[in-house]
Parts: sequence; C-alpha cells; structure tokens
Amino acid sequence: MSQPEGKGGAALEVRFVPDEDVLKHIADDAGTAGLGQRPPDTHLESESEYSASCSEEEEEEEEQKEANTVVSGRKTPAKTKAASTPPSQKTLSKKMKDDKMSNLVEEYFEAHSSSKVLTSDRTLQKLHKRRLNQETLRDLLKKAPLAFAPEIKELNQQHECLFSKWMLQLHLGFNIVLYGLGSKRDLLEKFRTSVLQDSVHLVVNGYFPSITVRSILNSITEEVLEHIGTFRSPLDQLEFIMKRFKEDSSLELYVLIHNLDSQMLRGERSQQILAQLSSLPSIYLIASVDHINAPLMWDQAKQSLYNWLWYETTTFSPYVEETSYENSLLVQQSGSLALSSLTHVLRSLTPNARGIFRLLAQYQLENKDNPSYPGLSFQDFYQQCREAFLVNSDLTLRAQLTEFRDHKLIRTKRGADGVEYLLIPVDDSTLTDFLEKEDEDV
Amino acid sequence: MSTCSVSKGCFVFKPSPKKRRVSPKTAEYFKEANNDSEDSGLRFATCQSLWKQIKSETEQVQEELNKQLFDNLVSFLRRSHSEFQEKTTEWTCRMKSREIPTAALVLGVNVTDHDLTFKSLSEVLQNNITPYVALLQAKDCPGIKNLMQKLMGQLMNCCIDVDSSDEEDYVQVSQHRIRCSMTSLISWYENITKKTDSETPSKKRISRHLQSPPVVVIFKDMESFTTKVLQDFIGISSLLPHSVSSLLCIELFQSLSCKEHLSTIIDKLLLTTQFAFKLSEKVLQVLINIFLYHDFSVQNFIKGFQLCIVEHFHSQPLSVLCCQLVEAKKRVNSLSHSQCENIRRLPSFRRYVESQVSEKQIALLTADNFLKEVIQKLLEDLHVYHENYVPVLRCLHVFTSSLPKYPLGKQIRELHCACLENRVWETEEYESSLQLARMLNKSDLVTMLQKCVEIFVSSSGKEFDKVVEKLKEFLAQFQKLEAGACQERGESVSSQKELQKKTDLYHLQKTLLELKESRRSKKLTKFEMLRFEVVDFIDNLVRNYLVPADHKTLHEIMYFNTASALREHLNAAPRIALHTALNNPYCYLKNQALKSDGGSISNKAPDICIVYKLHLECGRLINLVDWLEAFSTVVMAVEGTNEDAAASDQVDDIIHARFIQAVSELELLGFIKPSKQKTDHVARLTWGGC
Repeated sequence: MSQPEGKGGAALEVRFVPDEDVLKHIADDAGTAGLGQRPPDTHLESESEYSASCSEEEEEEEEQKEANTVVSGRKTPAKTKAASTPPSQKTLSKKMKDDKMSNLVEEYFEAHSSSKVLTSDRTLQKLHKRRLNQETLRDLLKKAPLAFAPEIKELNQQHECLFSKWMLQLHLGFNIVLYGLGSKRDLLEKFRTSVLQDSVHLVVNGYFPSITVRSILNSITEEVLEHIGTFRSPLDQLEFIMKRFKEDSSLELYVLIHNLDSQMLRGERSQQILAQLSSLPSIYLIASVDHINAPLMWDQAKQSLYNWLWYETTTFSPYVEETSYENSLLVQQSGSLALSSLTHVLRSLTPNARGIFRLLAQYQLENKDNPSYPGLSFQDFYQQCREAFLVNSDLTLRAQLTEFRDHKLIRTKRGADGVEYLLIPVDDSTLTDFLEKEDEDV
Repeated sequence: MSTCSVSKGCFVFKPSPKKRRVSPKTAEYFKEANNDSEDSGLRFATCQSLWKQIKSETEQVQEELNKQLFDNLVSFLRRSHSEFQEKTTEWTCRMKSREIPTAALVLGVNVTDHDLTFKSLSEVLQNNITPYVALLQAKDCPGIKNLMQKLMGQLMNCCIDVDSSDEEDYVQVSQHRIRCSMTSLISWYENITKKTDSETPSKKRISRHLQSPPVVVIFKDMESFTTKVLQDFIGISSLLPHSVSSLLCIELFQSLSCKEHLSTIIDKLLLTTQFAFKLSEKVLQVLINIFLYHDFSVQNFIKGFQLCIVEHFHSQPLSVLCCQLVEAKKRVNSLSHSQCENIRRLPSFRRYVESQVSEKQIALLTADNFLKEVIQKLLEDLHVYHENYVPVLRCLHVFTSSLPKYPLGKQIRELHCACLENRVWETEEYESSLQLARMLNKSDLVTMLQKCVEIFVSSSGKEFDKVVEKLKEFLAQFQKLEAGACQERGESVSSQKELQKKTDLYHLQKTLLELKESRRSKKLTKFEMLRFEVVDFIDNLVRNYLVPADHKTLHEIMYFNTASALREHLNAAPRIALHTALNNPYCYLKNQALKSDGGSISNKAPDICIVYKLHLECGRLINLVDWLEAFSTVVMAVEGTNEDAAASDQVDDIIHARFIQAVSELELLGFIKPSKQKTDHVARLTWGGC
C-alpha cells in the first residue's frame, strides 16, 4: 500500500501518534463505559463491496493529498476531511466505509511506522498483585458466575439439533469442521456421549501440549486395530491403517479432534497425515478450529482430502480446558508438568546419578538471588561430585551429564572465559518443589 | 471415562462388541435428522439413487474426456518402447537408449482433480501396456530411499497380481527385506521377463501386453518432489552420471482445460431432463463462483452438487416427488394428508390457487383427491416445461454465443443462469443481443438456423414439429434469396455506372443527394426483412419457453434454492463469524442487555468481548496492566461499588482471574501473542478488525 504522503508526511505521522491516542482516550472517557464507539466493521461482510470501493479509495487518497498540502498538519488528513465536509445523507454510508478503509490502513502504518512503542511502563509487579497459579485461577473462575447462561444454553441447544444431521453427512462421505467463538469442547463431548456411545471412537485433545500425530496414529493401531509392533515412520503406519480399513469394511472409526489447529497439529506434515486419514470412507472425522488463521493450514489438495463441511457453532463458552495447559502470561508458571517429568526421569536413574543432579540443583538454588549467575562450571562440579563420592573420574561425570542433556534436564553453555557452565533450565520454584519431593522419597 | 488429562491427549473408546451397533444404516440418520419422518425412507432412497446416477454420469464424462489423452499416451509408450527393442544395434538408438522416454503430462491447476485422472491412467496402462506400473507421489517420497522402496513395492505387488497362480518364493519375501536398489530391480526384471518369455503367453493379461513389457513409472505432481530425489532417481535408473535433464527424452501431452470439463458436466447434469433434481440460479451461481474464484476443481463442484442433493431431500418433505415423471405420478396418489397440506403451503401453489375460479379454489384447498389430480397435471406441465426449456436455451445460445462482446455471456451456463434469474427478455442484455442479431450476415444466420434445426430435431420435446418446419421454411427462403440477389446487385451496379457517367459537378452533387435520399428511405431488402422475421421468431420462442423456473407452479419440488446453506457449509468465513461474535454478541445471545446501537458494545457483554474491544484501541504492543485496569473499570461499572474492603478484594481477584482467562482466550484465537520487547506486554496480531 502506498501512503499518499511523501517522506516528510510519514515523519509527520509519527509525531502525531500520541496526539491521536490521547484524543481517543479523551473521547472514550467522555463516552459511557470507556468502550469504543466504533461502528461495527460491516465492510468485512462482503468482499465485492471491498473491491468496488477500491477505485473510490484511490480518489480519496488523491483528495487527501490535497487536503494535506492545505492543512498545516495539526491533524491527520482523514480527520480533517471528516470534519470539514459534511457529506450528504445519501453518500454518508459510502463515505464512512471509505473512511474506515483508509483508517484501517492508516492504523496499520501508524502502529508499525515507528519502532518505538508508546505504552506506559507499568508492570504487574508494581501492582502488588500476586501472580495467580493455575489452581487458584480455576477456583476463582468457579466463583465468577457464567454470564448469559440461559442464552448460551439456548445457543447450544440449537447446535445440538444438528447432531443427527452431522451423522448423516459423515456417513455420506463428508467430514465436519466446527468454527465460531467459544469452546466447542462441551458440544463435541455432548455429541460423543449422546450419539457415539455404541461405536468405536477416538477423542483427540489437540490443545494437549505434547500431542503428536504419532500418538494419534499409535492409538489407532494399538488400541483400535490391536496391532502389536512398531512402525518405522508415520507414513508406514498410515499406510498400515489405510490398508486395514480398506480390507475390513466392517471397521468404522469416529475421530473427534478438539482444536485441529493447535500448535502441535498445525504443521504441514501432521495435517497431511490427518487429511489422508480422514479421506478413508470408514473414518469419520469431526473437528473444531478456533484460530483466526486456521483455514490457512490447508491447501487445495488437503482440503479436498478432508472434504469439509463447515458448521458455525458459536457457543460463547469459555475455553477453560483449552487454555488450562497454556503457560499464560499472567499465570504463574506452576511447572507442574515439568516437575512430573523431572521426577519421572530421575526415578529411572541410579542413586549416584540422582545425587549428581541434586548437587547441581542445590547449587543453583543457593544462587537463585544472583541475577548474573552463569551456572556451575564443570571443574567445580567435578570437584564437588568427587567430594561427595559420586564419581571417580571426570569421564564418568561426563557420561552422566550427556545422559542428562539427552533428557533435557540440563543445559551447558560456554562462558566468556571458555569454561563450560551447567544449568538446569527449570524455574526455581519447580526446583524447590523437586528437592522437597526428593527429600521425602529419601 | 473422562477426556481431560494432563498426561494424555488421545482417548480411545471401544464399546463392548455386544453393545456395538451393527453397521448403523445411513438411512436411519436421515430419518433421525428429520423429525417429521414424512416419507423419509423413500426420500432417502430416491436421494441415494439419484446421487448414484449422477456420480456414474460424472465418472463417465471424466473417462470420455480423458480418453483422447490416454490414447495418445499409450501410443507414445508403445512407440518408444518398440523403437528401443527393434533397433538396438543402430548407433543413434544406442545413444537414445541412454535416455529415458518421458511423457510430460500437463493437467492444469486444479490439483485436486488429478487423483482420479492418475488412477484411471495407471489402470489404462496396466491393461494395455505393461503390468509393471508404479505411481509415485511426492508426499510419500521424502527421500530416495523411500522412493525406491515404494517403487519396488508397487512393482512387485503387481507381479503378484499377474502370476498369482505360480508360487514364487521371492514374491513372498516382504518388501521390507528386499534390498531396495537398482541392481535388485534389474535382476527382478530380468527374472520376470525370462519367465514370461519362456512360458507360452496363455494368460490373457500377458498376451495383451508387449513382449518384455516396459516398466512405467508415473510421478504425480512432479514439482513437489525434492529435486535431489528426482535427480538421484533418474541418475541411477539410467545408470549414467550425466547431467540429468539430458537423460530424459520428453514429449508433452496436454489435458483438456478444467473449464471445458465443467461445461460438459453442467451440460450432462443440469441441461437435461434425465435428472429431475435441479439447481436454482443462486445455488448454481454459488457453485460456479467457488469453481471460478477458488479452486477450478470439478471434483469440488460435484461435491457441492452432492451437498445440494442431500440438503434438498433432507429439508424438503415434498422432495419425495422429485423423481422421474411416471414414478412421481404414482407417488402422488399415495401422498398423505399432511403432505397435501405441505403442497398447499408452497408459495408457488398458493399463487396458482389464487389464479383459479373460486369453486376450484375451494376444491383444491379441501379435497385431497382433487388436489392429487391437479398435482399430477402440474407435474406433467413442469416436465414439459423442462423438455422445451433445454432445446430453446441451446438454440438461443447458438445465437448469443456468436455475437460480438457476448452480451449474454459466452458459455451456456451463463445464459442458463440469466434465464433462471428472471424473464430474460426483459433484460437490457437481451435487448442488445437481439439488436446485434439483427445485423448478422447471411451465411452466419444460415449456419445458425441449421444448428437450431439440428437441436430441435434431436430434442425430445413434442411441440417442436412446427418450429422445425418454420425454421426449414426460413432456410428455403434464404436459398431463394440467393437467386434474387444477383438481380439486386445489377441494380446497384447500374446506379454506380450512372454516377461515373456524369462529369458535371452540379449533376454529380444532385445524384449524390438523390442516392443518399433513396438510401435513407430505402425499403428494406428482402434479406433484411427475412432477417427481422427470423429474429422475431426466435424472440417468440424465448418468450414462450424460457420462463424462469420459479414462476412455475410446484417448482419447489424440483429446485434446490437454499444458496445460503451451501455457502455456509462449503465456503465458510470463520473469521467473519468470530468478528461478529466479538463485536456484536447480540447476534448470538439474544439478551436485551446486549442490544446496542452505533457499534459500541454493552459493558455487560461477555468478558472476551470487552477485552477484545479494549485491545482494538491499542497499538502494536499492549501493556497488560493498563489493559487489566481498563477491564476492571468497565466490569466494575456493572457490578456496582462494594463497601466491604475484604469482599472487594475478593471481587478484585475474581476480576483479575476473569481477565486472565479472557486474555488467554484471545491468545488461543490468535489475536495477540506474548512479546518479549517490554515486560508485561503482549503484541497485537490483527489490524482494523481483520
């Protein structure tokens, strides 16, 4: 997009960004509850209008250019225009639309024109708000009443009427994808419990942080097909599944995927495999997507494999489950997952190895108040381990460290002096928890 | 069993075999989905049989379209292979033998349709050329190893097909254990050819093939293969490490364009009386738009068509009558009372009743039996309408498709849409095409008329005998004109001569003026008169037979009209749905408190809407603290002030928690992401509400 102004104009823009922000805030404060008075962006509704207004937009840019030369730059040109020319009733809506379009473009460039960000420097720490952890967050949310419960319920009931239609369409060879605001988990659960009770089905929580296509394929081969044995690659596994389903026409499988667009599943290869899976006539896939860019995951080939029918199921239900794993910005990183994996791995090691890890953890905790703590240098660590009778040569220590590193329990980095430093990449509270737990075990 | 867990993401549910439903019938779901199970069994059966017919029809079309292409390919393969076998001694051929004969197949952009083409191609090759055909796809072959493995697997599997009777031990060896290399491929090939040579070609399949059949490898979607893999493969299979492209002897083959394919499909499915099911203008437009602006995929077009059929039979209880006329008449007799009521409720039928005399009106609305008789007649009318519609449409298309600038469109589908939309003869485009038609020259006009005669003669309509007669009469008149034409020309020549004779300036001017005068007031020539007559005749046909379908009584039975459903399910706009829900929750939650005007949203709106609205006012980065504060101000305005300090602290915490929840939801939806640029900031990812 070309900005109508020259370089000087762009500089002008930068200067007046704060002004505009302030203006906006003042205007908003004058308004009711501090919420914006923007009209809904109806122009999104139809693409044709979009393109139709293009030529006029150019015209307007021309006009803006003129306005810009006349007005000595106290306000942005668009504002000047809106204020100075009271448009006739007839063209008002059109003009508004155009204004909005150019505002939209301006807004983007305003936000991206300067590398400097104009926001206040307040931080949560200064607010004296304790960071909530996942559990207290849950408890607190339970206390908050769900707004508009009857309306939401009604909305859900409307969707539930579609269940048998979905079944019909699934059986006719289509797959179903649900979109719209609100968690669709409960809806799909309801679908599962009310319709799929008597058939074999697989539920996949796409939002689960360590879900992989492999695990989905594994659950099909191991649990559905009761096949014992491993596969060299997901492709082999997929082929095996496809063969089995083609051979045995009595096999049927319903697959429900919550959040097909999750971080873990949105990759090209995963989608390819899932698409091929869904193209089998006796596998019925019903999935939900939430991300605004979810449809970008699929190219034509995948879309035709998926053979989607789209259903809008706006539920307005909170995404409680879906966001519970996310290490959200404001939630204290409880690290419960990391903790369980730590203990899990450590439990499989020799007592000596556990001791080695303990030493490192303790040392790290002792230094937790030192912000420039580089880690424990290898030589010091070796010395300490020797003193504790944990190793007898630096080779054994090295072997042990390699094993830790393979399990991502430690990280090594070289300092400025070329010395190797060892770190446990886990936050301090988790580490404390871990040590406490270890002590209990011992 | 719950499906929430912190250690697992996949849950399999297997009901005990006793409880497991024994292959639930799709028909049952159809019934379940229809609460008013009005003839639903019959409807579903009709739907399925219709779909089956249409499917086989489309497959046949595809096959016919591919035939030419495949024939060329097959002959290319035969030729290149036999050349190779015959002249092994010649030097040029030995040069050539280092090259691999290659056919490049250009199929166009509609990638999704290619699957079928390739499938039938490999079938054709297997039947006609060689049993050894391997079809490789880019997505299966990320490396040369996988490629070889796939190749060997496919080749050896097909040799199992051929000599399934012989018990060859090497066949039993699973493909994993075979060392996948070129040498093993060659030894396998030598082995297999020796065997077929030594055996008498008694097996039918072999006998059709060439002696020592070639191995054909098909690469599907060549561009998406990694170049390295391809280079390696071509390099080793020719066993010469030369520059790779020189090793291929490429011949190009082009398939038909997908637009032609679509035209044929529309021709076969819509412009025919074979299928009772029809699409209304809007629906057809949606399907064509998806095709033209989104994917160029005929497969998807057919998928959309399937959805139309399902939706129609599913939502319209009267669709039970949407079948061949004879069958439909039978079914009318067995209609239940409530179905009769359904018919009475149809808008088009109501219009029909209103146009009748009052006694008949009463009879139609009260007596079911009388109604059924009338329905039968009306259905027949509708059938006759369709029978006549198609030939007249084609006839009109003959005219409009040759006019300059194509005012009514070049393709017959455009004309079809225009005719379905409203009375075509009332449109400007039609007017201008008639005007243009009045200026056609004779030879064009004659060929068009001849084409029209052919169309009408081959059509099944019964009313066209007279039309054909009239058209033939026109043609005869045109021929007669030819004789008269010489005379006319003579006249004009004489006046020309007169012009040359006069040399006087005054006289010249006078004659020129006279000539001009005579031209202006000149009576139309015979040809022109005839031309007007022809155009008027066509115009009459159009007015008689190309009435839009929704003016016809009972059209609802045959025509699927819910374009919105189609658009929603095939061409959904998830982003707009999200946007609407966030900006204007009242669209979904019908609560008066949420009703708003002028675009602002109520402060009682769901948390996520408020948080979203607040974030729209921020720049690239958003300070979480400010955001939280703004949120709690908005929310507190609703809750009212609370004096109790302890209680307010609790409220504060709850609001905090609600904010956290809403922000993580926005993150999940992809509106924001955490940013490390500044502490406690998030970055905005969308602009201007899109």
